Amino acid sequence: MTPMNEPNDRLDDALKNALRRQEAPDGFADGLMARAAQQHSTPEPIHRDSWLRFLTRPLVRWATLAAVAASMVLGVHVYQVRRERAEGEAAKERLMIALHIAGAKLQLARSKVNEIRTDQSTNHQVKE
Amino acid sequence: MKKTKAIRSSKLKYYGAILALLVASSIAARTQDAKIPPDVEKLSAKAKETVEVTMDGPMLHWASKFLSADDPEEAKCAKLVANLKGIYVRSFEFDKDGAYSTADVEALRSQFRSPTWSRVVGVRSDHDGDNVDIFFKLENEKMAGIVIIAAEARELTYVNIVGPLEVDQLADLGGEFGIPKLSRRSLSKAEKGDHK
Amino acid sequence: MAERIPAEQSPETLRTDVSETDFAEIVHRHQSMVFSIAQHFLADRSAAEELAQDVFLQLHANLLTLKSEDHMKFWLRKVTAHRCIDYKRRRKPTQLSFDDTPEPAAAVKSPDLFLARRLRELVASLPEKPRLVVILRYQEDMSAEDIANILAMPLATVKSHLQRSLAMLREKVTRTIGEVTI
Repeated sequence: MTPMNEPNDRLDDALKNALRRQEAPDGFADGLMARAAQQHSTPEPIHRDSWLRFLTRPLVRWATLAAVAASMVLGVHVYQVRRERAEGEAAKERLMIALHIAGAKLQLARSKVNEIRTDQSTNHQVKE
Repeated sequence: MKKTKAIRSSKLKYYGAILALLVASSIAARTQDAKIPPDVEKLSAKAKETVEVTMDGPMLHWASKFLSADDPEEAKCAKLVANLKGIYVRSFEFDKDGAYSTADVEALRSQFRSPTWSRVVGVRSDHDGDNVDIFFKLENEKMAGIVIIAAEARELTYVNIVGPLEVDQLADLGGEFGIPKLSRRSLSKAEKGDHK
Repeated sequence: MAERIPAEQSPETLRTDVSETDFAEIVHRHQSMVFSIAQHFLADRSAAEELAQDVFLQLHANLLTLKSEDHMKFWLRKVTAHRCIDYKRRRKPTQLSFDDTPEPAAAVKSPDLFLARRLRELVASLPEKPRLVVILRYQEDMSAEDIANILAMPLATVKSHLQRSLAMLREKVTRTIGEVTI
C-alpha cells in the first residue's frame, strides 16, 4: 500500500480501529431476498391476450396470489423487525450517552482531586 | 365526662402526630429517592442546551440487549448496566457564566443529605470555580446507587444511577478525553432512531 | 488495481448463469464491506442497511458483466460510494466544510473507550468526498490511486482531502486537558 503524506501511527491505528468493518445487521440477507422477491412478483409486461389467458389458469392464479401474499407477510415482518431494531439502537445510543456523561464527570472529579493534591504538595515544598 | 373528653382529645392528638410523622417521612423518602429532583427540571428553562436521559429498569435492560459483545466499548457498558435499576441524567449548558446560582446547586445537594446517602467526594476548585459532589447510596452496607452533581462555569450536570455498579469501570467510560460536545443533534439522532 | 467498469447491460441478458445460491454466497461474502462503507458514511444504521441492499440488488442486475472477484469488489465499492453521495445530496443539499465539523467540548489526549466512537462521529461529519476518502483508506486499506479511480477524482485531490481530514481529526482529538491520575 502506498504510504500517505502525514505519518501519525497512533491516529492511523485509531482510525483503522474506528472504521473497521462491521457485521451487517441480522436479517440483512433475508430482507434483501424479500425485496428482490417483491420486485420479481410484479408481472412482466407481455401481450394482453397472453396475459389474460395465462392468468385464467386456476393453478397459476392461486400460486401468484399465494406468492404475493407470502412476500407481503415477509415484507411486513421484515419491516417490524427493522423498526424494533431501530428503536433499540436509539435507546442504546441514549444509554451510551448517559454512561459517557457520568464517566466524564467522575473523571472531572478525579482531575480536580489531582489538582488539589498537586497544589498541596507544591505548598508543602515551598514551606520547607 | 370531662375525663372521657380529655382522653379522647389526647388520643386524637397522639394519632394526629403519628399521621403527620408518617406523611412527613413519606414526603422526605420520596424526595430523597426522587430520580430527578424538581429543582433540576427548572434549570432547563435557563439552559441553552439540555441533555436528558431517563431510563428506568425495563427500558435500561431492553436497551442493553442492543449492546454488541463484539464492540469493546459496548461490551464494557453491558457489563456495567447488568444489575442497574435506572439511569437518570440531566446536563444543562448555559450561554454565559452565572446563569444558575449557588442556591440552585445547594438545593440539589441538600436532597442527598440523609442517612441513606454518603457524600464521598466534594471538590471545590478555586482555579476555575468547578465543583463536583459525588454521593453514594448504601443499603445493607452495599452500594445501591450514585449521584453526581457537577457544577461548572457554563454547565451543570446531574446524574443519578440506581443500583450497584463498579465506579472505576464507570469512570473509565469517561476516559481521559473528557466529554465530547453533546449537542441536541447527538441526542436527537438517538431519539429519531432509524425509522423510514 | 484500477479497472474500468463496462457499461451496464440489459437485465434481460443477465441472470442466466448465476443461481440464487451463488448470489446469496456473494452477498454473504461482501455484505460486511458494503454495509460498513454505508454505515460509516451515513452514520445511520437503517439507511445504511437499505442502501447496502440497493447495491446488491443492482449487483444482481449486473453480475454477469463482472469478470473477477477483484472486479466485483471494485464495482461494489464504487457503486456504494456513489450511492452514498447521492443519498446525502437528495436529503441535504448543503455541502459541509471542514469548519462545520463539531468541536469536542473538552480536550482529549490518549485513546479511551469512546475514542473509536468519537472518531466515527467526526468522520461522519466531514464533507462528503473527504469522508469517503477517509473511509476507503482506513476501512478498506486502499491506496490513493485506487481511491482516485473509484471516486473519479484526481490523485492530487484525494491526497489533499486525506491530508486535510487527518489534520482536522488530529487537531480535534489530541488537544489535552492535563494528566488524569488518582
